Amino acid sequence: MLNALIAAGIILCAIQAIRVKKLIAAALWLAGCSALTALMLYLLGAPEIAVIELSVGAGLVTVLFVFAINIIGDEAPVRMPAIPPLVAWLLVILSFGTLAYLNLPLLEIEVPTLVTIPMAASSIWEDRALDVILQIVLIFAGVLGIINLISDNSSRESKA
Amino acid sequence: MASILIYLVIGLPWIGALLVWLAGDKRTTVQHILAILFSVASGIAAVALLFNTSSTTVINLDAGGVFGQFTFVADGLAVFLAVVATVIGSLAVIFSVDYMHGEKSLGRYYAMVLFFIGGMAGLVLTSNLLLMFFFWEITALCSYALIAFHNDDPKAVAGGIKALIITQLGGVGLLAGALLLFSQTGSYDFNRMIADPGIIDPRILSGMAFGCLVAAAAKSAQFPFQTWLPDAMEAPTPISALIHAATMVNAGVYLLARFFPAFKGVPGWTTAVILVGMISAILTAIMALVANDLKRVLAYSTVSQLGYMVFAIGCGGVYASQFHLFSHSIFKALLFLAAGAVIHSVGTRDMRQMGALGKQMPLTRFVFVIGSLALAGIPVLNGFWSKELVLEAGLQHGPIWAYAFMLLSAGLTAFYTFRMVYMVFYGKPSSEKHVHDAQPAMKVALIPLAAGALLSWLLAGPFSSLLHNSLPAHEIHAITTTEVLMEVLAAPATYIALAVVALGLIAWWQRQHLGGVAHAFRWLTAAAENSFGFEAVNAGIVRLTLGAAQKLRTTQTGLLNWNIAGLLIAFIAVILILVVRG
Amino acid sequence: MTTIPYIDMLTVMIVFGIGLYTLLITRNLIKVVIALQILVKAGMIALVLAGRINGQVMTGQSIALTVIVADTIVAVIALALAVQVKKHHGTVDLDKLRNLKG
Repeated sequence: MLNALIAAGIILCAIQAIRVKKLIAAALWLAGCSALTALMLYLLGAPEIAVIELSVGAGLVTVLFVFAINIIGDEAPVRMPAIPPLVAWLLVILSFGTLAYLNLPLLEIEVPTLVTIPMAASSIWEDRALDVILQIVLIFAGVLGIINLISDNSSRESKA
Repeated sequence: MASILIYLVIGLPWIGALLVWLAGDKRTTVQHILAILFSVASGIAAVALLFNTSSTTVINLDAGGVFGQFTFVADGLAVFLAVVATVIGSLAVIFSVDYMHGEKSLGRYYAMVLFFIGGMAGLVLTSNLLLMFFFWEITALCSYALIAFHNDDPKAVAGGIKALIITQLGGVGLLAGALLLFSQTGSYDFNRMIADPGIIDPRILSGMAFGCLVAAAAKSAQFPFQTWLPDAMEAPTPISALIHAATMVNAGVYLLARFFPAFKGVPGWTTAVILVGMISAILTAIMALVANDLKRVLAYSTVSQLGYMVFAIGCGGVYASQFHLFSHSIFKALLFLAAGAVIHSVGTRDMRQMGALGKQMPLTRFVFVIGSLALAGIPVLNGFWSKELVLEAGLQHGPIWAYAFMLLSAGLTAFYTFRMVYMVFYGKPSSEKHVHDAQPAMKVALIPLAAGALLSWLLAGPFSSLLHNSLPAHEIHAITTTEVLMEVLAAPATYIALAVVALGLIAWWQRQHLGGVAHAFRWLTAAAENSFGFEAVNAGIVRLTLGAAQKLRTTQTGLLNWNIAGLLIAFIAVILILVVRG
Repeated sequence: MTTIPYIDMLTVMIVFGIGLYTLLITRNLIKVVIALQILVKAGMIALVLAGRINGQVMTGQSIALTVIVADTIVAVIALALAVQVKKHHGTVDLDKLRNLKG
């Protein structure tokens, strides 16, 4: 029951995030979506991931969105989209429909109950050291991106 | 040992290309020095490889399930061509120091040249057909980039595009061959097929054989694709010497020679090869008679001589063809580089604006005459021995009509060669301009090549044992140099050919009295100036490709929405295929 | 206790579909980034779910962690780019940007 409620919440937030006109509002709906996703991950037995998702996805990224949208400002779409919404929906549903048809037998599967909740941390450091290194590199790239965003900002403003 | 050398031969020029590019166009001296260092080092490695030949696979890199094993061999055929590519490559680079002096974007030039040298060495050293295709495309790319080097000149760009598109035809054939080979044997290694062609379905083998002939004809500018090579002459002259005379255009001949044991049993294949070689040789010899552009004459003669090699392969004379390839690389590179020295100091390529340059450029004249004598097939120069071997193979194993045509084109070769030498170095001076002789770096490149044109025939014996020892499937007999010489001197074909060559010379000498003949053949002259209409075939291919590309451009909107839609449609298609099939 | 995770599967599909739909129709660069975020949320749930179903719980979770990091970086860089694009060209409309040269 709780599961279904959360799922409905996620879907609602996602739809709102793409429907609302104001970008700031969209970013906030996205944050809500992210928080509910974290909750769902927790229920699925991944508490560490849920915490990280909550702090990074709902926290950091939202802050960045608000930051960027403040600089860019709202911009109303002027024309109709290139692809009619109906066709777009058709494409999406068709692709998922065919995929689902192909995977119908998979619906027989059952999820084994978790006996103990293992610590993700040990797995991360012991089995997936390469991933961790990759993530460190990625974080550095992100930091550089932010620095670029901010520094270029000020220099340009001073020129203007 | 051999494996390290192979890595060096391919890797050194590529490292050099990177370093030259990193050095930047502001430090031209550094660029010159780096280019020379790396190309010469690669040449030395290739020569060292000569003493480490073997018929087995030397390098075996596992490249995963899709590509199989990346294999390299160091057999005679491969190593010999790698030596030609790297040694003539380094001489061309040395020549470029003076020729390209003061040009803009030297980095691009040298990087492409070095990239080409490595690619060409890789093309001949690998025994993986798919990898060969990659190297083949690398050489095509470099050829394009260097033909269009002066990219503010529309003629150069058009010539580059044409060369690229026509040689791509060959690339497509090669790729198809690689896939067919994989479908039949489960690996891309062609040595298994060469050792035992029976493992492949005869119909597929015949498809591969003719596909290979098309690929070779496109790459080596043979009939009916012969018109891209003359247009490629917009390239800087050292490039013409390296890529369009001594190395890349030989790739087609190499391909035919390499696969000869596998394809010789295919019905009609050898006849087709003979026909292609013969028609190319004779048509372009006639075209060379009427051309007035010095480099175009050389280009036509290159196609004509490549025709000889193809003809020899069709007649079963793999050794003769490869020996002629060897001689031709030397004397044609020499001719091109000497012509480059002339063009560099005169400033035009039109032979009608030259004349009597011999007095002012004694060294250039000397080496050019040596190269011309070798091209015409005058005794004791290397071109004489190898051309006689080709003609002898034609007389023994080929149809007699083809032999007759090859003889005729030998006579024509002598004729146009002397016409060219006369127009450039003798006759009446057409301008009062002072010209200077070859510069020091040019001399460094020209003199070894001239010595090679004089003496390389002495290597006939070692060359045959090199091929014999490492190519079991090709059935090449090891013979000593003396035996080769005796064989040539004893054969009646030699004297017939010499007589025809002499006839060609007499015809040139007595050209005033042949006015009537020339008048009678006026239609032929006109046709030759129009490339016998084959220009239309090639131009048609180019136009078709460019037109299709232009039309396809509209599908690239650059709009994210459409790209995502394309992704989804492709995804649906894949899933539907899976649903239907399984 | 065993359950068939219909609800979770459906959530993944619907959320992913919403993301794709947005990518198909939107022209605003910021909206594109939001759509990518939504897509990745669906992917994350799917990974953890797949880990549960397969019995390789830890593999699924650590890959999900990698996805979070990668996705955050994508968002950061995309937003930085969007800001720069706005500064240089004065718009973040993809259709208008497409017609700009240089």
